[in-house]
Amino acid sequence: MPRAIRAYVRIMDRISDYVGIVAMYLIFLMIGILLLDAITRNMLTIPMHWGIEFAQFTLAAYYFLGGASTLKNNSHVRMDLFYDNLSEKGKARMDLLTIGCLIFYLSVLLIGSISSLEYAIDTGERRFSMWNPSMIPIKALMVGCIVLMLLQSIALVFKHIATLRGETLT
Amino acid sequence: MSYEAIALLMFASMMVLLLTGQRVFAAIGFVASGAVLMLYGTGGIEIPFSQAFKLFNWFPMLTLPLFIYMGYVLSESGIAEDLYKMLHVWFGKVRGGLAIGTILLMVIISAMNGLSVAGMAIGATIALPEMLRRGYDKILITGVVQGGSSLGILVPPSVVLVLYGMIARQPVSQLWLAGVFPGLLMALMFVIYVWLRCRINPDLAPTVSEDEMNMPLAEKLKLLRAGILPFAIFFFMTGLFVMGVTSLVESSAVGATAATLAALFKRRLTFSVLHETARKTLAISCMFLWLILAALAFGAVFDGIGAVRAIESLFITRWELSPWAIIVMMQLSFIVMGMFLDDTAMLVIVAPLYVPLVRLLDLGFDDTLIWFGILYTMTCQIAYITPPFGYNLFLMRSLAPPEIRLIDIYRSIWPFVLMMALTIAMVMIFPQIALWLPQTLNVR
Repeated sequence: MPRAIRAYVRIMDRISDYVGIVAMYLIFLMIGILLLDAITRNMLTIPMHWGIEFAQFTLAAYYFLGGASTLKNNSHVRMDLFYDNLSEKGKARMDLLTIGCLIFYLSVLLIGSISSLEYAIDTGERRFSMWNPSMIPIKALMVGCIVLMLLQSIALVFKHIATLRGETLT
Repeated sequence: MSYEAIALLMFASMMVLLLTGQRVFAAIGFVASGAVLMLYGTGGIEIPFSQAFKLFNWFPMLTLPLFIYMGYVLSESGIAEDLYKMLHVWFGKVRGGLAIGTILLMVIISAMNGLSVAGMAIGATIALPEMLRRGYDKILITGVVQGGSSLGILVPPSVVLVLYGMIARQPVSQLWLAGVFPGLLMALMFVIYVWLRCRINPDLAPTVSEDEMNMPLAEKLKLLRAGILPFAIFFFMTGLFVMGVTSLVESSAVGATAATLAALFKRRLTFSVLHETARKTLAISCMFLWLILAALAFGAVFDGIGAVRAIESLFITRWELSPWAIIVMMQLSFIVMGMFLDDTAMLVIVAPLYVPLVRLLDLGFDDTLIWFGILYTMTCQIAYITPPFGYNLFLMRSLAPPEIRLIDIYRSIWPFVLMMALTIAMVMIFPQIALWLPQTLNVR
């Protein structure tokens, strides 16, 4: 494989890993906020009206940020009735054939997310609640994460081609 | 093209794509976004993405990553080893006692966690090797671990019931309470089955006669302390929630914290364990959440083409089915679909179609939607363990000792599937098995 492609795959994998590490520690943020919410509401009777909402934002960030690294690590469930019996190269060939589905879905998500972000910026969209937070940051984050997932999918295409040619890309 | 044809085409193309082994969320998302573009042109292009905000507004979804985290911490914490030792000493002398003890272990694990993954991991890595070493029949015990761990989604807390509660707009506390007796009934059936099989054929389970069993009573009683931590975790999480002290999402955070503290208390918590747990939690949570996101887009298309009305007219007007026949048809369709489709995706896609219909049916008792949720969860259990598409089957294959082959796993499950089907039938005939507890306590 050309050096440019090797470099691309290596850099994408690195980025996915780092973003994934940021994402995985958000679980402790969610636990912390919700625990704080339970304590302040029940023991101190000072309800934090933004607690659950903040945790909801964190959850959205959590799985969007985790998207690229889970694609890279192949941790999404597959129906492996036939797939599992294929050889290494057979799997790569099958994936190459069907990864277009993933790329298509992610592209539709990307177009939708960009138009949703544009709307949020144009109208200064805020979530209707007591806290009333702006929706721009989370939508911008989602757009960024979908872009990362698309780039990671392209890296996967290169990896499958490499497997078919008997090489490994890491 | 008629709407029925569109719906069928969507299902058919999804099935074909799933068989290729592409990631399930990508297959479902592709079919959904393709259908959106075909039906509404570029005007509908925002529909798949806008589901992210539908998911965002389902705030009980927060319990999902927290329960997954909790499951992993519990299996790392050493609580299960202690429990197993206790059950082993107390039941070791009964014929088939270790298998019976394993079922009880699974019930206790189920009462601490809302998924079947934790029970599976603990059963396959702690209980299975021990029973194999003592010459238990491997097909029997593989089935015990498979069937027992699936109780995780029926015995409260349960993530499947949280998801169902969001879709059917039913109170989760009621749903959880409704799962208690069907879960215990199923566990009891498993115990009786194992006991009978071992009575009839003693070769399946050699009795244990070792010195470690003959300890003085005081020692035996000491072992019961292993039950304290699980009970405390159960109380802090499910107890506080059902009593109305903490909200659902808060209680899952309390549970996650309690499990972490228990691991800390047992000196099992190192930084690397925490890091590993966080990594695995992210992987499983992302898998579920992306799947739900894609399935929501699929469901939105179904909603747009009026599939609910189509199913209603098919079942009621065209086939003229009685209310009970409709319920049976729904269960059967769940089981068949569950064999091929991931059950989370199935819930998100199919439940919104069925729930309005169940609400219409007159079955002669109240709270039908709560009862239906329990029936649904039990069919999910069957779907979990039946080939070709079952999470537990895959997990079992990767976790179990190498002498357990895939064919053993397949052969081991059918008695448990039969017992689950029998429990479903009993809950259908006697809805009170599920509904008595929530109606009596009535904590809304």
